[in-house]
Amino acid sequence: MDNVVEFRKITKYFPGVKALEDISFSVHSGEVLAFIGENGAGKSTLLKILNGDYQPTSGEYLINGEKKHFRQPSEAIEAGISVIYQERQVLMNLTIAENVFLGRLPADKFGIVNTKEANRRTAEIISDFGLDMKPTDKVKDLSIAYQQIVEIMKAYSRDNLKLIAFDEPTASLSDSEIESLFKIIRKLKSEGKMVIYISHRMEEIQEIADRIVILKDGKYVGNYGMKEVTEEEMIRMMVGRNLGDIYDNLDRNKKIGDVLLEVEHLKTDHVKDVSFTLHKGEILGFSGLVGAGRTETARGIIGADKMLSGELYLEGKRIYNKSPKDAMKNGIILIPEDRKTQGLLTNFDVGNNITVGSIDANSNNFGVLNRKKENEMVQSGIREFKIKTPSAKKKVLELSGGNQQKTIVARWMSTNPKVLILDEPTKGIDIGAKAEFYNMICKFAKQGLGVILISSELPEVMGLSDRIIVMKSREISGEVLRKDASEEGLLKLAMIGGENNGRN
Amino acid sequence: MEGIKGSKDRHFHINGSNFVLFCAIIVVIAIFTSINHNFLSYQNFINILVAASLIGLVAIGHTYLIIAGLNDLSAGSLAAFSGVVAALLVKNMGFNFWLALIFTIVIAVLVGVFNAWMVTGIKLDPFIATLVSQAIFRGFAYIISNGKAVPISDKTFIKLGNARFLTIPLTVWILIIAYVIFGFILAKTKFGRSVYAIGGNKEAARLAGLNPNRIIYTCFMMMGALCAVGGVILAARMNSGQPSACVNLEFDSITAVILGGVSFTGGVGNIGGTVLGVFLIQSFNTGLTMVGVQSFWQYVARGALLLMALATDYIRKKNAEKIMLEDSMRNL
Repeated sequence: MDNVVEFRKITKYFPGVKALEDISFSVHSGEVLAFIGENGAGKSTLLKILNGDYQPTSGEYLINGEKKHFRQPSEAIEAGISVIYQERQVLMNLTIAENVFLGRLPADKFGIVNTKEANRRTAEIISDFGLDMKPTDKVKDLSIAYQQIVEIMKAYSRDNLKLIAFDEPTASLSDSEIESLFKIIRKLKSEGKMVIYISHRMEEIQEIADRIVILKDGKYVGNYGMKEVTEEEMIRMMVGRNLGDIYDNLDRNKKIGDVLLEVEHLKTDHVKDVSFTLHKGEILGFSGLVGAGRTETARGIIGADKMLSGELYLEGKRIYNKSPKDAMKNGIILIPEDRKTQGLLTNFDVGNNITVGSIDANSNNFGVLNRKKENEMVQSGIREFKIKTPSAKKKVLELSGGNQQKTIVARWMSTNPKVLILDEPTKGIDIGAKAEFYNMICKFAKQGLGVILISSELPEVMGLSDRIIVMKSREISGEVLRKDASEEGLLKLAMIGGENNGRN
Repeated sequence: MEGIKGSKDRHFHINGSNFVLFCAIIVVIAIFTSINHNFLSYQNFINILVAASLIGLVAIGHTYLIIAGLNDLSAGSLAAFSGVVAALLVKNMGFNFWLALIFTIVIAVLVGVFNAWMVTGIKLDPFIATLVSQAIFRGFAYIISNGKAVPISDKTFIKLGNARFLTIPLTVWILIIAYVIFGFILAKTKFGRSVYAIGGNKEAARLAGLNPNRIIYTCFMMMGALCAVGGVILAARMNSGQPSACVNLEFDSITAVILGGVSFTGGVGNIGGTVLGVFLIQSFNTGLTMVGVQSFWQYVARGALLLMALATDYIRKKNAEKIMLEDSMRNL
C-alpha cells in the first residue's frame, strides 16, 4: 500500500526563535528523502514535530490524507512513525530481543513473557537484515553501529511501520558500518517504507537519497530530485550566500605584535602536555575533531579545569589561573561553546547578563553595586556590539541566538581582556550574524588582543586565523600558517596526526 | 495593614505576583475576621508579627538559599539546638546573656559551614545534606539538655522576649531591621547579585568569574546565624530552651518563601515577596488557632497552603513562558 505523509504550513516558535516557518511538502512510499540545511535550519525540529516530541505552533501534518496530532512520541510510534536518533535509546543490559520488543514482549494471558517467541521473531528480522548476531546477545556487547541497528529493528518489528526517520545516523559510524546501514535503508525503501534521512555529509546524501528538501533558517527553500541539482547548487541554496566572499572581504589585522601568551607544557585531567604561543593582534585557530582536547586546553588555561602541571606566561610574566576569576583578573577570558549551559544566565535580563562579569568593578568597597556605572556599561555594550533588543530589561532568552551570543561577548569585552578565547563562537547562529562576528573578531585583533579561535568548521578556521594549531587525542598534532593551510592537510593532522610530531 | 504596605513600598519592590499575594492576605484576613471579630485588631496584628519573628528570620535565610538554587531542612533543628545552647550557657556556664548569644551564633554559623561543606565538598544534594544535619542537631539538642527544657532565669535573656520599644515588641523590631538589611544586601550588592547568578546557572556564573563555593558557604553561614537568633528569641519568649521546639519550622518557612514568589528552581524572587509570604502563613496559622480549628487540621491546612504555593510557582513559570513565546511571535 502506498503511504503519504504531508506537511502543511508547519510553523514553530520557541521563545526568542522562529524555528520553522510555513513548511509544506510531502513524503511518499518507497523513497529516501533527505533534509539538508545548516545547523539551526530546522531539520531536527521538523522531525520532532512529526513524532510528537514538539507541537507545531500552527499548521498540520497528514498521514494518507488524514489529519494527525501526536502529543507524544509513543502515539507517533503507534501510528507507524519511528525516529532513530543520534543518541542511542537502547537499554544496554537487555538482550537484542528484549530491546526489539521492549514494552510489547509476547506474553500469555497471565503476563508471563514468552522469551522463545520474542527470540524467534527477532531472529527472523536479523536474517531479513542479513546480519550476524544472536537475539540473546546483550546490547552492551554490540558496536555502536549495531546498537543503532537494534533500534531500527525495533521500529521494523512493528507491522504498521510506515515511516522511519534517521537524524544524523552516521556521525559515529565507520565506512563499512555506514555501508551496512545503507543496505538496510535500501531494503526498507524496497518494501515501500518512507525514509527520511538527515545528514551533514554530502557524499552520503548523494549516495542514498532520492529526493532532497532544503531548509534554510527555518524556511522551506525547495524540493528537488537528486539528479536535478549539483552539489554546488545544493550548498548555495542551503547557505544562501557564498561564504568565500565574506572571508575575502574581512578587514584583517596586518601587524602581528610581540608574544602575548606563552603556554608551556599545560597538563590537566583532559589534555596532555600542550605548549604554544600567542602574539598580540594574532588570531590563532584551533582545529581538530570534537573531543580532541581543544575546549579542554582553553579550560585549562583559564583555570576552569585544574592545571596539573605546566606554566603560563602573559607578556613575559608568570601568571597563575586557579579559577576563571583569576584568569579574568589577568586578562584572559573564555567565551564558552555552549551558550545555554555555560554562557547565559537565563534568569537575568540582557543588562544583568552583560554586567555579571564586572560586578567587582561596578561595586564600591562595601560591595554595593553602582547602578549608574552598570547602566553605562550596559548601554555602551548594546551599542558597540549592536545587540538587537528593545531594552536592557528584556529577558536574554527572548533574543535570537546571534544576539544572545553578542550579549555574552559584550559581557566579556567589558572586562577589558588581553587574550580572548572563543569556543565555537558561531555555532547555531545564522549566516548574517556570522559575518558580523567575523568582522568583530578581526576588529579585536586590530585592537591588539590575542584571539584564540576554536572552531570545528574548517572554512571558518582557515578563513579567519593567521596560524592554525591542530589537536588530536588531547595533544597538539601540528601547526600550519594560514597561507599553507588546506582542508585536506588540516583533516589529516586531525585524524592521523603529524609526522615528527607535526611541529614546523 | 496599610501601614505595612506603605513601609514595604519604600524598601522593597512590589511586583505583580506580590500583588496577588497581597490580595490573598486580604482574603485570609476577611475570612478569619468574619468568624472572629478580634482577628482584625492592632493587638492581634502585633501578635502575628511576634509569632512570625522566628519563621520570619529563618525565611530570610531560605530566600537566599532557594534563590541560589540550594535549600535547608535543618533550620528547625538548628533553631531548637541554638535555644538550648544559649540557655545552657547562661544557666550552667554562668555566661552573661550577650556572650551566650554571640557564642551560640558562632556555633550555628559553624553548623552552616558544615552544611555548605557537605554541599560543596562531598557534593551532596542540599536536601539530603541538610537532612543529615536536621537529624544530628535535633539529636544534640536532646543530648545536651538531657531531653528536658532548660529553664532561663537571666533577666536580660527574658527581657529579649517581652521588652518593647515605642510600644512595639523588641522581637518585631529585630525582624524589621533584619528584613531591611538583608533586603538591601540581596537587591543592591554584588553578593546579592551573585546569589541570583549561581541560582540561575552555576557553571555559567563560575565561568563569568564568580566563586560559587564562597557564595554557597556565605548563604549557609548566614542561615546558621539567623536560626541562632531565631532560636534564642523563641527560648526567651518561652523562658526556656526546649529541645523539642521548632519541629517543621523549615517547612513553614519554605512554604512562605515559595508563596512569596521565589522559584524553587532558583534564580528568581525577592525579599518583598517573602515578607508577604511570611505574613500570609503566620496569619493563617494564628487565624486557625483563633477560630478554634483542631490543631491536627492545621497540618492539613498547611499542606494545602504548600500545594497552593507550588502550584502558583508552576503557573507563574508557565505564564512567563507563554508570554515569552507570544512576544517572540509578535516580534520575529
